[in-house]
Amino acid sequence: MFRDRYLLSFITLLGLTNLVSGQAPTTAITEKVNQKLVKLYGAGGFQGLVSYGTGILISSQGHILTAATQMLDTRELRVHLYDGRRLQAKVLVIEPEFDAAILEISRDKKEKRDLNLPYFDLAAELKKPAPEIGEMVLAFTNAFKIADRDEPLSVQQGRISAHTKLTARRGITQIPFNGEVYFVDTILNNPGAAGGALTSSRGQLIGMIGKEYRNVVSDTWSNYAIPINCKVEIERNKQKKMLTLVDFCQEAVAGKWVSSSKNKTQAKKGPGGYHGIVFVPDVVEQTPPYIDRIEANSPAAKAGLKVDDLIVYVEGEPVYSIKSFNEMMSRTRPGTELRLEIRRGEKLTGLTIVLGDFPKSK
Amino acid sequence: MTFKKIEQSRRTNRAKPKLAQLLPTLLGLILIFFYAIQLIPIKANSQNSEVFGKYRPMVGLLPHPNPPEVSHLQLSHETGLNLIEGNGDSSLPNELKLEESKRIDVIKKVKPAVVAIFGGSGGGSGVLIDPRGYALTNFHVVQGTGVVMKAGLPDGIYYDAVLVGQDKVGDVAMIKLLPKKPDTPFPFVKMADSDQVKVGEWSLAMGNPFLLAKDFDPSVSFGLISGVNRYQYPEGNFLEYTDCIQFDTTINPGNSGGPLFNMQGELIGINGRGSFAFEKRFRINCGVGYAISINQIKNFLGHLYSGIDADHATLGATIKSAEEDSTLPKLTIGEVLEESDAYRRGIQEGDELVSFSGRVISTVNQFKNVLGIYPKEWRLPLIVRKNEREKKELLVRLQSYQIAVSNPSMPKDKKGILPKGPPSPKGPAAKFYVKKKGFANYYFNREYRDQIIAKLNQSLHLDNKNGNWTIDGAFIGDGRKGSFQLTCKDEFDSEKKVEMPVLQMRLNDVNYALRPLKLMQSEVDRSEPRGSGGFLMAFYHLKKLLTQGPKGFDGDSCFYSGYAPIYPIPSNILNPTNYKQYRIMADQLQSDFLDVPSKWFFYRSDLNPGLKTAYQDGDIIGFETSLNPKEWDPCEVYLHDYRTIDGIRFPHQIEIRYADKRFALLTIEKLNLANSNKK
Repeated sequence: MFRDRYLLSFITLLGLTNLVSGQAPTTAITEKVNQKLVKLYGAGGFQGLVSYGTGILISSQGHILTAATQMLDTRELRVHLYDGRRLQAKVLVIEPEFDAAILEISRDKKEKRDLNLPYFDLAAELKKPAPEIGEMVLAFTNAFKIADRDEPLSVQQGRISAHTKLTARRGITQIPFNGEVYFVDTILNNPGAAGGALTSSRGQLIGMIGKEYRNVVSDTWSNYAIPINCKVEIERNKQKKMLTLVDFCQEAVAGKWVSSSKNKTQAKKGPGGYHGIVFVPDVVEQTPPYIDRIEANSPAAKAGLKVDDLIVYVEGEPVYSIKSFNEMMSRTRPGTELRLEIRRGEKLTGLTIVLGDFPKSK
Repeated sequence: MTFKKIEQSRRTNRAKPKLAQLLPTLLGLILIFFYAIQLIPIKANSQNSEVFGKYRPMVGLLPHPNPPEVSHLQLSHETGLNLIEGNGDSSLPNELKLEESKRIDVIKKVKPAVVAIFGGSGGGSGVLIDPRGYALTNFHVVQGTGVVMKAGLPDGIYYDAVLVGQDKVGDVAMIKLLPKKPDTPFPFVKMADSDQVKVGEWSLAMGNPFLLAKDFDPSVSFGLISGVNRYQYPEGNFLEYTDCIQFDTTINPGNSGGPLFNMQGELIGINGRGSFAFEKRFRINCGVGYAISINQIKNFLGHLYSGIDADHATLGATIKSAEEDSTLPKLTIGEVLEESDAYRRGIQEGDELVSFSGRVISTVNQFKNVLGIYPKEWRLPLIVRKNEREKKELLVRLQSYQIAVSNPSMPKDKKGILPKGPPSPKGPAAKFYVKKKGFANYYFNREYRDQIIAKLNQSLHLDNKNGNWTIDGAFIGDGRKGSFQLTCKDEFDSEKKVEMPVLQMRLNDVNYALRPLKLMQSEVDRSEPRGSGGFLMAFYHLKKLLTQGPKGFDGDSCFYSGYAPIYPIPSNILNPTNYKQYRIMADQLQSDFLDVPSKWFFYRSDLNPGLKTAYQDGDIIGFETSLNPKEWDPCEVYLHDYRTIDGIRFPHQIEIRYADKRFALLTIEKLNLANSNKK
């Protein structure tokens, strides 16, 4: 069913592509949007995991909407504003249901003065008509950390090619976001792009660019953004309610957001299937998953994994750390077949592992 | 599907591709993607941008043993391939149709000048900028082809071509296509002012991605300017992209060296690099491409046209961002090299850098952007603030970059093997190639140098005045004024029993003399008059150049060294400010005589559009002679107000400057330049 919708929207896209491509985005719009966006620097910096990202200013006092990435996992979160100012920020709320986080620029307690930053008024943006499939859009990101300090973010153009859900293999990989997203026909979700802005050709905020995510059905990378008007059923305090990304932002900024149950249940996991990999000691916050030892006759040994391999992807989802690998494994069962991608020396290699039962002696 | 079959389907579908007909091509393209992927080893660092590298034709390669399964739908979705022929769609609103037809016209206009380059182990793209067949491309393209190559134009003709000049750090090279019939003009494109390019504007990239176009008809892609004034780190010591243009217009391996156009069809840059997420897409377009701005290339055009292996510059001082943690840091000078011009101009550690070459500098990247677009040895104005108060404008000579880098080495290929030296060239283009150290192709430099000397002789006619010279007039300078006499004569040396040149200068009743050929003299002895930095030696060199041309100097030491700015200061101004207003772009020659180098600046009107000046093409505006290039400033001589004096066209005023100060201003009243007294 998903595929049919996808095909349909693709055909629609074909009909509209030329209709919109002639519209020249004015340089004034890119300038104006850029002022409302920030570059973010935080945790990360090793293989497959970047320490930078993009954010959207949603209040004049310095509230920032961004994607819920590992980059936020630090006390040293820095923000570079459009004018080149470099400021500290702290995380207010992370909500997995929206795969989003709200940050606030830190200021001296004494200083009560409004920062007076240009920002996207989400309530106003929400009232504007939602974009059509095939409409031209602009994407503003700090992909590849090209911009620093007062350098403006990179702007790309593309068309909305579909409004549908991300796909995943149920039970094994987690999709970043359950609601409907906008797919864009350009290579958008590059390293560091998450948290960037997707706008109309007139600079209207349409959505927040999501994490890098591989479509496990087609084995291709998804280029998508989470719409600001997306409706997601959220369970909190045992009550289900349909909420939008804008609802989340507004409540989080006001200090009234109640975290979803998803946020709380995430920690509760079983041991999962047995693989037989022993990693290097997990000494830092984000130790990359390098294999230190492989237990004899284990599923890992049968799959052909070797010492010093670095696990990069599990079922297409990037593995940031030993912790995140274990977290993925906790969602598996004995007998689960997983496709791993590993870096061995200079090469990326794919192989398949069939998880087993934990050996009785251990 | 073989490569040939793809070609056939391309050709048959050219007229009006329909979705059904395009499908095989599309599937072919998918295969090519994987062929391409195979060729390119994965690089460990996924974040830095890279040049596309040598692109080898893929004919004859076996397909990947386990090609990943990709549905064509997903791929086309990802790459944004457009399967529709938009032209003639009656549903389009009129203004969009107009927009589209304008775009089609622009493409038609510029396409004939887009070059497909093949040769050696590589290939790429290029663009003609001159009806004589000169085309720009990337250095990393000619690195793969060698000095002679083949170049195809969309007219279907395959030309022989030869490397002319190169800029390894800037990743630019110039080649010359040889016309099939002599003097047949080539199509070429106009260069834009790339400082006017703005984020959000549309652009067109053209070239030969994946070396697809065996009929040399370029692929066209259309996209947005994503960023300007971008800085991308070098690979090793070369291929540094400074002040470059970033775009989302699709480029892929093989596009390297091809043009980026604005929507008026003017050349704004040369495409050559992209940022890649290797784990995801290898070296295939990721929506982030970079072009070297055409304004940077313009600074090097003199070098490129004249066969030079060009070098970039350093300031001779490091720049650091003070107080890294402050909200808005200022930039200060770090260490200053003692042998640098920056040191001699009085730049000190801790000085705040305010602006450089007229651009306000607030980040290290901005500084690198400004520095990176200039060739070595250019003089540029720099403003520093000292002691948080006084602002000071200085005219600084840039240092050579390749001497400054600790271990200059060619960029290694991905296996860490140094590229082999170019094989000795063969074919019809080889006769336009002359190898010489420091040059990409000395053939073109010699031609350029001889043209300049010919122009000089046309304008001054002094090549027969090799006899004794006596010049009389008035001088002012250094708190003194009065009369001067300057002579350059051959005197019989009783010791050596030969005629030896002697230069003498009288300022009022003080006499200075120089015997330039006398051995065992110190730099101080040779720098008479004291305080001039060596004017008599400089004048001796001037006489040599005017009367003997390149033959007056050591061996082959006289060469053309590109365009460079010179700042002649009007004779009524003693303490100049805002140097930019005096700047004239000039052709530059360099020469050496007995270890004393000189630099000569010649006026050329087409380098100075709109400038009002009395200089004629070929006139020497000024020159510099360095008696101790490592430790001293050169003696600077400016030639003002050319007029006919005693029947000879000659500068009426000669200004001598040393170390930012005027030594003297000579006003010539009597000129006696004798013809050669040798038979």
